[in-house]
Amino acid sequence: MTARRRDLFLCLIFAGFAAILPVVSGVRYTVTQTTFFFIWATVVVQWNLVFGIGGIFSLAQMALFAVGAYTAAMLGYYFGTSMILAIPAGALLAVIFSVALGLACLRLRGPYVALLTLCVAQVMYLMIVNDTDCFTNPPAGCMPLMGGVRGFSRFGDLGFRELLGPAFYVGHYYVGLAMLTLAMIASVVVIRSPMGLAFQALRDNPVYAAARGIDRFKYQLWIFGLSSFFTGLAGAFYAVNTGVVGPVVFSFSHLLFLLSMIIIGGVGTIWGPIVGALLLMFADEAMRELGDLRDIGMGLILVGCVVLMPRGVVGLFEDLTRRRAAQPARNAPLPTKESA
Amino acid sequence: MDVFLQIIASGLTLGAMYAISTAGLALVFGAMNMLNMSHGAILALGGYLSYFALTGLGLPPPVGITFAVLVCAAVGVVIYSIVARPMLQSDNFETRIFIATIGVGVILESIILEAFGPQPKPQPVSVPGSLTWGGVYLPYQNLMILGVAVLIMAALGFALQKTRIGRAIRATAQNRDAAQLMGVRIGVVYALVLAISGGLAAVSDITISSLSSLLPNMGADPMLKAFIICVVAGLGSVPGSVIAALFIGVIEAVVQYIFGVRFNFALLLILVIMVLIWRPHGVFGRVQGVRL
Repeated sequence: MTARRRDLFLCLIFAGFAAILPVVSGVRYTVTQTTFFFIWATVVVQWNLVFGIGGIFSLAQMALFAVGAYTAAMLGYYFGTSMILAIPAGALLAVIFSVALGLACLRLRGPYVALLTLCVAQVMYLMIVNDTDCFTNPPAGCMPLMGGVRGFSRFGDLGFRELLGPAFYVGHYYVGLAMLTLAMIASVVVIRSPMGLAFQALRDNPVYAAARGIDRFKYQLWIFGLSSFFTGLAGAFYAVNTGVVGPVVFSFSHLLFLLSMIIIGGVGTIWGPIVGALLLMFADEAMRELGDLRDIGMGLILVGCVVLMPRGVVGLFEDLTRRRAAQPARNAPLPTKESA
Repeated sequence: MDVFLQIIASGLTLGAMYAISTAGLALVFGAMNMLNMSHGAILALGGYLSYFALTGLGLPPPVGITFAVLVCAAVGVVIYSIVARPMLQSDNFETRIFIATIGVGVILESIILEAFGPQPKPQPVSVPGSLTWGGVYLPYQNLMILGVAVLIMAALGFALQKTRIGRAIRATAQNRDAAQLMGVRIGVVYALVLAISGGLAAVSDITISSLSSLLPNMGADPMLKAFIICVVAGLGSVPGSVIAALFIGVIEAVVQYIFGVRFNFALLLILVIMVLIWRPHGVFGRVQGVRL
């Protein structure tokens, strides 16, 4: 079995296990929290494509998420568009936005990309929050074009409320699960394809890759476009799932939470982001009792992971199994230096 | 004309405040290719420590400010020895230190929040009075900030150009391996650079908060502005960043006067995005060759 088949097979097995969770545990809290896990895991799996596989340190992922969320919400709010159409529209707009961003940071490297993308996200946030001119005047009060500080609510849903009644959240659970499964399959297919190899080649040695005829321009736009589709989709689904979209999606703590998931799970590994998302959701749940100290805990986890295990939990696991496999041969080459 | 001069005067004050914190950031990036994302939290820490020393312990202002500067410098050294040193040799140091210092910033900010609470606090360091000169209203506070900034920049420039350790810092920035082969102890240089940056952050925040007030997350905006200035100047260029800081301070004052405070920051950010696309290494940045 090739590595690609094995990974796809694992995707389906995990999806199968996740599909029976609402049947086994009917607790609403567990089901809705797992739905959030699906949304965040979708975002980090796609972020990993840009950051881990492509080696481009973009911090725009929450901005793309917001593009998806705001597009869906605004289409629903202003035009009454059905969410079944509005969600893919959000994803498509995120793709266009992301390709434009990819063009903007073609000439930049390393932390400059992080600064540019952070600035773009911050401009969007400030434009939304500082806009106080009323665009429409619904009974609930003045409504700026982009929703202002308050954001949008009541822009429609997927119709699960009529279909399933009080148990509508189970419907959202399965939509989330389907989205994550597709995002994961897309990520495996991309990483284990010639294109994925090209991304990794450009990451590990840009000059050598270019000398072998790999076009950085083309592949950078591809990776920005590919990774943004599911991010936008996750954003739009998030909007429908919570029923509210506000500027809070741009908050730095959100971005940090997702970044920590990738780092802790393992940058540039296939399963790292999802493992990291799972671990951090549990850690967050466990530290809920601590109140304000929660942030200190998150910070400590992040710093500790970056310093002590640069390739995250999955990377550490891979190194251990490789070392065990290499043990009988005394003169076996040392495990290569981290390449994430 | 009076309005114009007034705008220039307040712009220069803003620029002077930015210059102090940006110089530290640029120094660290120049010497060790490290973007310190915890700079904002260190800024806030400096302001709060001065508040604590002056109001809580009742120390006289010079002692209190020195205390704040020394503690922030120590925080810089701690960041070097615990966070930066273990990963100095790794390939993707720039990305890893960026992420790790975000974590450090969150920890510091939460500690400040725990210790001092979320309410705004006044910064006790202030000079009352003002003078009107040629129709321009100049509070002594602003003049003092300008004076402090000029003094610090001059001292920093002198130290970098004329002293032994300054030469070591510049040598490390130019070529780390060569500097090390010539006997520069780069560990000491890195620790020192982060300590200077921490100390400058404390001074910068004391000036910023003396015009507004103290909040646990107050460092975020000045840090982002400091990054903007660094990027416009070209990361790592200390003299370039001082010029850019004054320039941006004046631009900010002009934009505030014409368009209002509302879109001021967004416009600044758009400026950075344009600069980054037009000149990826900043206006004063040198284009670094890629070693194969």
